[in-house]
Amino acid sequence: MKKNGVKMIKINSKNVDVFYGKKQALFNINLDIEENQVTALIGPSGCGKSTYLRCLNRMNDVIDICRVKGQIIINDFDINDKSCDVVRLREKIGMVFQKPNPFPKTIYENISYGPTIHGMAQSKNEMDEIVETSLKKAALWEEVKDRLHEPGTGLSGGQQQRLCIARAISVKPEVILMDEPCSALDPIATAQIEELIDELKKDHTIIIVTHSMAQAARVSQNTGFFHLGELIEHGSTDKIFKNPENKKTQDYITGRFG
Amino acid sequence: MLEQNPSKEDLKDADYYDIALKSMADLDPNANEDQENELKRMVSYFFEREIKRELLNDPSLIGKTKDVYLTASDDLDQVFKGNYPRDLPEDQRRVTDYQLKIFDQLVELGKVESKFNLSFFTYPDSREAELAGIASSFMGSIFSILVCLMIAFPVAVLAAIYLEEFAPKNRFTDFIEVNINNLAAVPSIVFGLLGLGILLAVFQLPRSTPLVGGITLSLMTLPTIIIACRASLKAVPPSIREAALAMGASKMQTTMHHTVPLSMPGTLSGTIIGLAQALGETAPLILIGMVAFVNTIPGSPLDPAASLPVQIYIWAESAERGFVEKVSACIMVLLGFLIIMNLFAQIIRHKFEKKWS
Ligand SMILES: Nc1ncnc2c1ncn2[C@@H]1O[C@H](COP(=O)(O)OP(=O)(O)OP(=O)(O)O)[C@@H](O)[C@H]1O
Ligand SMILES: [Mg+2]
Repeated sequence: MKKNGVKMIKINSKNVDVFYGKKQALFNINLDIEENQVTALIGPSGCGKSTYLRCLNRMNDVIDICRVKGQIIINDFDINDKSCDVVRLREKIGMVFQKPNPFPKTIYENISYGPTIHGMAQSKNEMDEIVETSLKKAALWEEVKDRLHEPGTGLSGGQQQRLCIARAISVKPEVILMDEPCSALDPIATAQIEELIDELKKDHTIIIVTHSMAQAARVSQNTGFFHLGELIEHGSTDKIFKNPENKKTQDYITGRFG
Repeated sequence: MLEQNPSKEDLKDADYYDIALKSMADLDPNANEDQENELKRMVSYFFEREIKRELLNDPSLIGKTKDVYLTASDDLDQVFKGNYPRDLPEDQRRVTDYQLKIFDQLVELGKVESKFNLSFFTYPDSREAELAGIASSFMGSIFSILVCLMIAFPVAVLAAIYLEEFAPKNRFTDFIEVNINNLAAVPSIVFGLLGLGILLAVFQLPRSTPLVGGITLSLMTLPTIIIACRASLKAVPPSIREAALAMGASKMQTTMHHTVPLSMPGTLSGTIIGLAQALGETAPLILIGMVAFVNTIPGSPLDPAASLPVQIYIWAESAERGFVEKVSACIMVLLGFLIIMNLFAQIIRHKFEKKWS
C-alpha cells in the first residue's frame, strides 16, 4: 500500500544469516516486506524459504541447532534483540502451516485459545464475538456455525486450513506468515483460500511461501526468489514474472529448473 | 440342622456356646464326653457365632425353632467333596470313624449341603481353612496400590514431562535416561531389600503395612509410568506444539494446555498396567513383612495387612487340604482383578483415540 506515493515497509531484514549447526541455510538476506500487501516467496525445494519465514516469528528458536544472525526490524524494533518478548512477537505475527494443524479440541476452542492466553476477552460474550468474526473473516462461519462445539479435526482439509487461518487472525496479528498453505488442498479449497488471502490483506500484511508460480502470480503483489539460500531477486510480482533481471529467476519461472 | 431355645438376655452379650454345643450334642443322644467333643469339632471353630448372627439378624426367632446351616470343619468339607482319604487307618486321619458315621447319617438325611462361601470375601486370614478369607489381603492390596499410585503417578509424570519437554540434551540427562531404563530392569526383590533397609530400618515406618508396601511398589512402578508417559508425549505430533507456540503460547502453556492432555490416555493406560504389575508383585512385600499372619481387616494403610499374592503364597504353604481351594479362589480373584485393570487400560486408550482422530 502506498501512502502519499511512498511504500510503507512493515518488515525490514538486514544481512540475515541462518545456520543449522555448521551448515549455513541462508546467506545475507536483505528483504523489505510491504505493509498490507501479499509477498510471495518462491524458489526450488530446500532453498530456505521456510527457514526465512520462520525467522520472522522466531520459530527457529524451537530448533536447538538453529542460529539466526542479522537484523529483522518490525515496527522499528529488532526482533532478534535479546529484549524481544517472543510471546508478544508471535501474538503480532501469526502463522499458518503447510499441513492444517488444528488443535484436537472443538472448533470454538481452536479459535478462542489465542485470545484466552493473551487475555483479549473479558467475558464470554466478547469471546463469542471474537470467534464469530474470526470465522467470518476466514470464510468458514456459514459452514460451521451450527457445530462450533464439535472437534476441529472433524472438518475437511480445506475447512481445517481455514480454521487455522481463523485461529491465526483471532489475535488480530499485524502480519500473517503462510508456509505453503494450499499444498495439501484440492483446487476448489485452494481457490477459496486464495480469495481469502486477497481479502485479508486489507487488515494484515501477508507473506506466503508457495511452489506454484501461478498461485504466486495470482495472489501476490511482491515476489522474492530464493535459490540455494540466497535471495536472488525481489520486486513487484509483475516485474519478476514478466521481466526478471536475473537469468536464474527467468529459468525458474519458465520451469527450466526446480 | 439344629434346634435351639435361646435365653431372653441381651442378644449381643449372650453366650451361645452352650446352646451351640448342646445342639451338636443332640445329634447323638447317646454320645459320651469324648464323642461330644468330636461332635463339636465337626463344625467350624466359631460355630456359636453363626447362631448368634442368625439371631441378631432376626430377633423374633427367640423362643422359636429354626434350622440353621453351620459351616462344616474343613476336614468334613473335604470328606463331603470326596477328596478325603477315608480308607486310611483311623489313627492316620484327623476325622475319626465316629465323626464319619454321624456325618454319613447327616448326609443321608439330606442335612449337608455345599454352599457358596461368602465369608471368603468378608473374613480375614485364619488358621482354620474354612474360616480363612481374603478380606485382609484384599484391603491390603487395595491400600498398597493406592499408596503406590499416589506416589508414583505424580512423580513419574512430572519426571517424564521434564525429561521429554524441558530437559536439555546433555550427558547428565542421558545418564538419567539410562538409569530409568535400568531401574525398570531391576529385580523386584532388590526393591524389597531397599524397602527393608531404608523404609523400615532407617525411617522406622511401621512394619507389615500397606504404606511401606506401597512405597516400595511405587519405586518399581515409577520407571514403567515414566517410560509410558514419555512415549506418549513423544507421540504428540510436533505440529500441535508448533501451532500452540505460533499462537504465542509459552513453552509451559504449550506443554500444559496441549501436549500433556494429549499424552494422558497413553500415560493412564501405562499407569494401570504398571499398577497391575505391582498388584501381582510378591517378593518385595515378603521382605518388608507383609507376609505376617494378619487376622484383622486393615482400616488404613498404616494397619498391618497382607496382600493378595502374598496370601496365595501363605496358603500354598499350608498343609491342610482345605487351603488348596482357598489358593485357587484367591488366584481367581487376583486374576480377575488384573484382567479388569488391563481391560480398563485398553478402554481408556481406545476411547480417547477414537474421540480425536
Ligand atoms: N531442522 C533442520 N535441521 C537441519 N537442517 C535444516 C532444518 N530445516 C531445514 N534445514 C535445511 O535448511 C535448508 C533450507 O530448508 P527450508 O526448509 O527452509 O527449505 P524450503 O525452501 O522451505 O524447502 P521446501 O520448498 O522443500 O519446503 C535445507 O537445506 C534444509 O536441509
Ligand atoms: Mg518449506
